[in-house]
Amino acid sequence: MKNTTFGKVDRAFAFLIRFRALVVAAVALVTLAMGYQASQIEVKTIFSDLLPRDHPYVAVNQRFKQTFGGSNMVSIMLEAERGDIFNRTVLAKVQKLTVDLQQVEGVDTYQIISLASKKIKEVRASTEGVESRPLMWPELPRDDAELAALKAAVLNNPLVYGPYVSTDLKATLVTVDFNDGSMDYTRAFNQLMTLVGEASGDGVAVRIVGEPVLYGWVNHYLHETLTIFFFAVAALVVLLCLITRTWHGTILPLLAGMVSAVWALGAARLMGFHLDPLVVVVAFLITAQAISNSVQLIARFDDETGHGVASAEAAARASARNLFKPSMLAIVADAGCVLVVALTPIPLLQKISFIGTVWVLTILVSALILTPVMLSWFGARQRYIHPININPLLMRILGLCSAIVTTRWRYAVLGAAAAAFVVSGLYAFNLKVGDANPGSPILWPDSSYNRDAAEINRQFQGSDRMFVVVAGKEPGALREPEVLSSMTRFQKYMEAQPEVGGSISLGDILPQVNRVLREGNPMYQELGKSADENSELMYMFVSGSDPGDMDRYADADAKNGAVTLFFRDHQGETIRTAVARVRDYVAQHPIKDAEYLLAGGLVGVLAAVNEVILAGQIEAIALALLVLVVCCTVTYRSTVAGVFFMIPVLLSNTITFSYMAWQGIGMNINTLPVVALGIGLGVDYTFYIVDGIRENLHRSHNVERAIVNALMGPGKGVLITAMTLITSVVLWNFSSLRLQADMGVLIALWLFISAFSALFIMPALVYVFRPEFIVGSKRHPIEQAEPVMVG
Amino acid sequence: MLRRFKKYGGGARGVVTLMSSSAPLVIVGGLLYAGLFVKAEALVQKVEPPPIERRDSFYGVAAPDSRVVWAAGAGGKIVRSEDGGESWARQITNTEVNLQGIAAWDSDSAVAVGNDGVVIVTRDGGRSWARAEIPASGNPNKLFRVRIVGDTAWAVGEFGALLRSPDRGETWSRALPEKDRAWNDIAFVGDAGWLVGEFGALMKSGDGGASWDEVATPNKASLMSVAFRDAEHGVAVGLTGTLLVTADGGVSWQQVPAFTREHLYSVTWDEGRWLAVGDKGVMATADAGADQWQLGRVADGDVSWRTQITRAGSRYFLAGSNLAVLDDTGALSVAGHKRM
Repeated sequence: MKNTTFGKVDRAFAFLIRFRALVVAAVALVTLAMGYQASQIEVKTIFSDLLPRDHPYVAVNQRFKQTFGGSNMVSIMLEAERGDIFNRTVLAKVQKLTVDLQQVEGVDTYQIISLASKKIKEVRASTEGVESRPLMWPELPRDDAELAALKAAVLNNPLVYGPYVSTDLKATLVTVDFNDGSMDYTRAFNQLMTLVGEASGDGVAVRIVGEPVLYGWVNHYLHETLTIFFFAVAALVVLLCLITRTWHGTILPLLAGMVSAVWALGAARLMGFHLDPLVVVVAFLITAQAISNSVQLIARFDDETGHGVASAEAAARASARNLFKPSMLAIVADAGCVLVVALTPIPLLQKISFIGTVWVLTILVSALILTPVMLSWFGARQRYIHPININPLLMRILGLCSAIVTTRWRYAVLGAAAAAFVVSGLYAFNLKVGDANPGSPILWPDSSYNRDAAEINRQFQGSDRMFVVVAGKEPGALREPEVLSSMTRFQKYMEAQPEVGGSISLGDILPQVNRVLREGNPMYQELGKSADENSELMYMFVSGSDPGDMDRYADADAKNGAVTLFFRDHQGETIRTAVARVRDYVAQHPIKDAEYLLAGGLVGVLAAVNEVILAGQIEAIALALLVLVVCCTVTYRSTVAGVFFMIPVLLSNTITFSYMAWQGIGMNINTLPVVALGIGLGVDYTFYIVDGIRENLHRSHNVERAIVNALMGPGKGVLITAMTLITSVVLWNFSSLRLQADMGVLIALWLFISAFSALFIMPALVYVFRPEFIVGSKRHPIEQAEPVMVG
Repeated sequence: MLRRFKKYGGGARGVVTLMSSSAPLVIVGGLLYAGLFVKAEALVQKVEPPPIERRDSFYGVAAPDSRVVWAAGAGGKIVRSEDGGESWARQITNTEVNLQGIAAWDSDSAVAVGNDGVVIVTRDGGRSWARAEIPASGNPNKLFRVRIVGDTAWAVGEFGALLRSPDRGETWSRALPEKDRAWNDIAFVGDAGWLVGEFGALMKSGDGGASWDEVATPNKASLMSVAFRDAEHGVAVGLTGTLLVTADGGVSWQQVPAFTREHLYSVTWDEGRWLAVGDKGVMATADAGADQWQLGRVADGDVSWRTQITRAGSRYFLAGSNLAVLDDTGALSVAGHKRM
C-alpha cells in the first residue's frame, strides 16, 4: 500500500518534471496575473472590521453612536506651559482648531466639542430670566473682564470644569468624533497632525489621542514595516546562502515564499479583502512556513545527490516522493488550524483567517510542486558558492541530539519537558484577554502617542469613553425623578472603580440648572421632584440652543439617554470589571420606566471584542487541536498519532502563552491571529522527523539507528529553517510598532520550541514509548521497502 | 511500552491496548466538547466603594471635639472621622435624600436634617441613625440647617419652617407658622436668638425663641448664615457677597460695602476673628470689629463652593462640593481625593 502511494506520487512528479518548462511557465503566468491583483490590494484599517458582528454591545453602539459619540473619538489637549488657559493666545488656538477640524476628512461635524464650540454652554440667571448660551462662541473674550467672566463661568460649570478644562486650569480639551466607513485615514491623520503642529508653540503644548490617531500612527509606520519585512527577507536569503552554500538552497525557498505571498495577496484582492497593516507579521509567519517546506525538500535533494543518485531529476523525484506525506500533512493541518480562526465573529479575524488559509494552501504549489520541479534543473553535483562551511557545527548540534536520545539523558529531557509543560501550563492561566497595560500595546510605552495618552489621562477624567444607554419605555421617561436619580446613583457606583475617571449624564445637568434657578444656591443642586419640574429644567437648558445640542445626554422626546463614563485606560481588566459592575448595578436596582443597555463608545466595543475573544479562546484552541488530531489520525491511520503530535503543539502553546502572560502581552484582536496561526505552526518540524524515522524503519528494524538517521537527515532541514527564521525574525525588534516587535519575539519563541521539541523531545518520546504507528508492532510490522526503481 | 506488559499475559495487554486506543478518542471527544460548550469565565476584581466618593458633596459638618468629626451631604450620606479627619467611615442612615445640616452634642449624640423634612438622630455615635417625626405639612419641608443650644435643637428650612426640639432631636414642634419664605440659619447666645432667610429677612428673639420679631435690614438679597460672638456683636452673610454687621444685639444692621460678588454661605466666630466662606473657594476674614474685611481663598487654586466651616482643635473642616480639611499651616486636603 505504502509503495502504491509512493508510486503514484512518484509518477505524478515524473510527469510534472517531464513537462517542467510548461509547469514553470504556468506557475509564472498565474503569478504574474496574481501579482497584478496583489499590487492593487489596499493596505488600510477599517474600524468596523474590528467590531464583532451581532454582539449586543456593538448593536447598541451602532444604533446610538450618532448621538452619544462612537468609538472613533479623538481628544486633543492644549496645555498652557505657563499660567492657565485663560489668555487670548491659548483660547484663539482652541477656537482655530475647533473651526479647522470641520475640514478634516471623515469628521462628524456635529461632534466637535470644545470651549469654542457652540455646544458648550452655561445656563445663567439674568434679569430677563434664565438663559442658556455658548460659553465662548462665536467670539473670543475681548478683554480681561470678559476673560475673567469666562473663567468664572467655567469654574461654575461641572460639565466643563473637569471634562473640558482640567481642574488646575492649565489644560483644555477638544474632542471630535469620526465617522466610520470608507474614508482615507492616512489623510485624516496627516490633516490632524498638521493642525496639531499649527496649534503647538507660543507656550502651548498640544497632545492628541484616539483610535483614528492610533491607527494613523500605524499607517504612518507602514513604510517602515515594509522595509523591515524586506530586510527580514534579505536576512533570510543571506542566511540560507551561508548555511546551504548553494544557489538552489538560497533561491528556491525564497521563490516559494514569494510565489505564495503573491498568490495569497492576489486571491485576497479577488475576494475583495484589504490588508490590515498590523497583520504584516502574520504574512511573515506564513512565508516562514513556505520557506520551511521548501528547505526540507532541498535538504532531502542534497541528501539524495550526496548519496550518489545519478541525476538531478531522480533526486528531485525522490525528494518530492519521500516528503510528500509530511509536507502535505503539515500544510493541510496548518490550513485547518488557520481556518478555525474564522469562527470568531470579528470580520478582521475572519478576513485574516481566509487569507491565511489560502496562503497556507498555496504552499502546495509554491513549495511542494515548484521546488522539486525547479530542483530538477540544478546539477546533481554539489558546487559550493562560498568557502564558509558551517555544516560541521550543524552536525555537532545534531550529534548532540542523537547522543541525548540514545543515552539515559533522554529521560532527563522528557522529565524536563514534562515539568516545563506543567509549570508553563499553570502560569499560562495568567494570560489576559484585552490589553494588559495602560496606553496602547501597539506602540512602545515611550512613543509620543502613549506619552500623550498618559498626559491627557493625568489631566482629565479619561480619554476612553463608554456610554451606557438608558432606554426609556415611554417618551418622557428621562424626566422621571426615579430614572434620573437611578442614573446619578449608577454614576456614583461606577466611579468607585479607580480607573473610571468620571461620568456625565442628564442627571448631572438638571441639578446645575436647578441651582442656577435658585440664585446659584448649591443647597438646591438637586434633581426636580417631579417629571414636570425636570421637564421645566430641561427646557431651561435647551432654550435658545440648537436642536440636537442636548443629544449627547438625551434625545428630543426624552425617551433614550446616555450615561457616559470616562476611563483612564482600556486594559482588559478595567473593562471587564466595569462591565461586570454595570450588570451588578442593573440587576440590583431595576427601574420601572427604563432599562440600561450596554454599551457604546470605544470601551463599549472593546468590551464586546474582549468578550468575543474570551468566549472564543477555548473554542479556537480546542478546535484547532481537534483539526490537528483528526489530520494526524487520518494520515497515520492511528488515533495514537493524533495524540502524539499534540505534545509539541501543547508545549509550544503553553510556553508561548506563559511568555505573553509574563511580558504583559494581552490576547487581543491584534495578537489573536498570530496566536491562532502558531497553534498549527508548532507541529511541522515534528512531522518531518517522525516521518523520517518511519521511513528509515522501512529499511531496517533498528529503531535507534532510524532515529539517528532521521535526525541527521530531516533534522538538518529543521535546524536550517529554525536558525534562519529565528535570526531574521529578530529584525522585527527594530520596529517602531511594539506589537510587531512583540509578535516577532513570539514567532521566534514558537519556532525555537517547535524545533527543540522536534529535535530533542519527540525522538526521545519515540525511543521510550515506541508508538505503534511509527515503529510498528508484532501484528502490524513495518513493511520493508523494496528498493525504489529510479529512472 | 507494550512489550513490558507481555509477561502479564494477553489480558493485561488487552487492557493496555484498549486504554491506548480509547484515550485518543476520549481526548478528541474532550476537545470537541471543550470547543463547543466550554466558555471561559472572566474573573472580575471586586471594587469596594470608598467612604467618600468623588461625586459626594457635603452641606454640613459638626465637630463635637477635636478628634470626632461628622459630615452630612448629598444622597443621605454621613461620614465620621475619629482621628481628626485622617480617615473617614461611612454611616448607615437609611435615607437617600440630601442631608443639609448636622449638629452634635458630643461624640455620641447628633442630629441631621435634610430634604423632604427628614430628621435623623443618633445616640450611639452614628452606629445607628433613627428617623424623628416632624409636624406634618403639605409643603416640601426642606430643612437647611440644624443648630443646638443646650439640649434644644433648632432646625430651619423652606416655607418658613422653624422647628424646635427640647429633647436632643427626639420630638419636634413648630416655633413659627409656615410662610412662603425660607429660613436659612439661626443663632443663639443665651436667650437671644437671630433667624435669617430669603429676601433679606431677619428675625430676633429675646426669650430663647418663644417669640420672634421682624428686624428691618438694608438689603434684599437672601441671607444664608448668621453668627454672634456675644449677645451684642454679630455678622450675617448672604448671596452676592452680602455682609451685614450689628453691634447692638441685632436691633440695627449695617451693610458692609460688598467686596465680592460671590455668594457667602457660612459665617462663624473663630476665636478672635470672623470667618466667612462661600462660592468658588472665597474666604473672607475680619477682626472682632467686623469693619475691615479681607477677601482671600480657602487655599490657592481651590474653587469649590463651601457651605460650612467648623473648627476642631487646630484644624478647620469644610463642607461643600467636597469635604476638606484645612490645617494650621494653610494646607488644604480634600478627603477622599488622592491629589488636589
